[in-house]
Amino acid sequence: MKITFADWGNYTIAFGSLFQKLGFEFIFPEKTNPRVIEEGAKLSPELFCFPLKVNIGNYLPAIKRGADTIVMWENIGGSCRMRYYWVIQEKVLREAGFKVKVLNFNSQNLLSKIREIQKSNQISSWQLLGAVRFFFKEINFIEKLEEKAQYFRPREKERGQADQVLNETLKKLTQTTNLKELSELKKESWQKFSEIKIDGNKEVLKVGIIGEIYTVVDGGVNFDLDKKLGTMGLNVHRKLNLTQHLKGGFPPWNEWLLQRKVNSYLKTTVGGHGRQAIEEMLDYSKKGFDGVIHLLPFGCMPEITVRPILQKISQEKELPFLSISLDEQTAEVGMQTRLEAFVDLMKSKQQLTANS
Amino acid sequence: MKTYLGVDVGSVSTKLALIDEKNNALESLYFRTEGDPINAIQKGLRRLKEKISKDIKIIGVGTTGSARYLAGVVVGADLVKNEISAHAKGVNFFVPEVRTVIEIGGQDSKIIILENRVVVDFAMNLICAAGTGSFLDAQAFRLGIPVEKFSQIALKSKQPTIVGSRCTVFAESDMIHKQQIGHSREDIVAGLCHGLARNFLANVAKGKKISSPIVFLGGVSENLGMRKAFENTLGEKVIVPKYNTVMGALGAALLAKENIQGKTKFRGWEVSDQDIKCTSFQCKGCPNLCEVIEAHIDGKVVSRWNDRCGKYSSLNPQ
Repeated sequence: MKITFADWGNYTIAFGSLFQKLGFEFIFPEKTNPRVIEEGAKLSPELFCFPLKVNIGNYLPAIKRGADTIVMWENIGGSCRMRYYWVIQEKVLREAGFKVKVLNFNSQNLLSKIREIQKSNQISSWQLLGAVRFFFKEINFIEKLEEKAQYFRPREKERGQADQVLNETLKKLTQTTNLKELSELKKESWQKFSEIKIDGNKEVLKVGIIGEIYTVVDGGVNFDLDKKLGTMGLNVHRKLNLTQHLKGGFPPWNEWLLQRKVNSYLKTTVGGHGRQAIEEMLDYSKKGFDGVIHLLPFGCMPEITVRPILQKISQEKELPFLSISLDEQTAEVGMQTRLEAFVDLMKSKQQLTANS
Repeated sequence: MKTYLGVDVGSVSTKLALIDEKNNALESLYFRTEGDPINAIQKGLRRLKEKISKDIKIIGVGTTGSARYLAGVVVGADLVKNEISAHAKGVNFFVPEVRTVIEIGGQDSKIIILENRVVVDFAMNLICAAGTGSFLDAQAFRLGIPVEKFSQIALKSKQPTIVGSRCTVFAESDMIHKQQIGHSREDIVAGLCHGLARNFLANVAKGKKISSPIVFLGGVSENLGMRKAFENTLGEKVIVPKYNTVMGALGAALLAKENIQGKTKFRGWEVSDQDIKCTSFQCKGCPNLCEVIEAHIDGKVVSRWNDRCGKYSSLNPQ
């Protein structure tokens, strides 16, 4: 059995090390690029969500190199169509003539599946715990790295330094296999970041990114939004990430707290991260952000449901708001035009408030 | 005399405008791009040079429109601005009290909302080109009417028929259907205009606060049928100001004037006679596989762009 999995921004590195430590033979999926998107969209049903199409495109090169099993997480209990990803992906790939199987995990079968893996891959519980711990440490490190880059990009004196440190560190992270190496890498990269010369007095606009988690996190599908806005001189913030998502249900009252915060706008869950988008937008408004960008895959039901609410919040709180839906038809130039106009909008609004 | 040049190269039409140091519009040009933006820019410069007196000197250039980067490289721009900000700037100057801008060009349509002379919200058509100039062009051709006469015919109608306008394909088939069952040409043309106005308000302007005064710009604003259709659907007066088709170019010129530092990067009038070519290649340096574009002037590489990492664009002379 040779496995492969979906590419998801920089998290892919952590997925790789998790599967390696769990004793799987695996092939990395192809990093998301225009060709991946094109190939994936060709095979997939047209009206299915964009992430599914990208996933298919990610698997294809790995399958051609010998992967026969795909590991996919299944979101049970409400949420959204991601619940059916594993079934659809298996069907699509098989109909295209690839003999692959999807190994689906969900919160109900997780323990029994893990026991199976332990038996077949001969992994002790101790090793299992170590793998999971390392995985979470890596995830945490990746998120912090991205945050650092978001901070330094608009402020650095010499353009491109933050991205250089980020890319070097991520490259080294793929070679990192234990906690000791990881903490050394951490120290090293924080040191490198601190050496970047910044313009401390520069006024930097703050923009929050909200929306559907996959498109918010993955630079391959959102045309490197982080970097684009960063080089335009904006400090990007993303509250939503994998850690936040996993924390959502632990402790259990988090759910209740979230609902309470958005109660005056939405009284029920709409699946996906719909409520989170509202909560984040309200939070950004409270913290005095200069604008909010909403990302969603074209046709994403939960995000489309909350979009009018987000527009209403934008008008009520006078918080500039831009919603961008992404799919294989989205042209980068169109997005660039909107982003440039949005940045101009935020700048002129800020100047107006500064003058009055 | 010292002047500033604004160049707006869109999908269908190219606009050039010249302003003096007191922000007066001196000269403007509007003509079709004909699928060749480089040639269009060269042609525009040639024509502009013929129209103006010899003592006029250009001391700043701004470009906008969907080919703004290309135009910026070819002309040598001091400022490259997106078309939304450029239009907002232009209309703000010539119609200061404006609150809502409807702009419909060759292939895109946009709405800009302003408050206290500052843009607060905007939207552009995302997936549908129904209602833009190209579509009207195609339908005029189908009906055998020169697009310039479209307006007169639309205004003759007393009872516009309802033409479905959810998307261009449906609008077209619905229009043919209406023809086949015997509706008059005037009613169909007027119906089409109404359908397109409805489509714009339902798609592009959805969720936006539209308030008076409303200004209508872009090539399509020349069409009297469309003006009337917007007035009827909105129930408000729609203003079509002077310079309605070249507002983006004027805005770019105004912005260039505001932002210029030092000497202009304008390559001079001789650009119109030089050999300018663009080629592209795929960079295989990483899995992003960017398609990098190279601009050559007289065989020399002057600029490269469209790479994500900056491997090539960072080599451009600043």
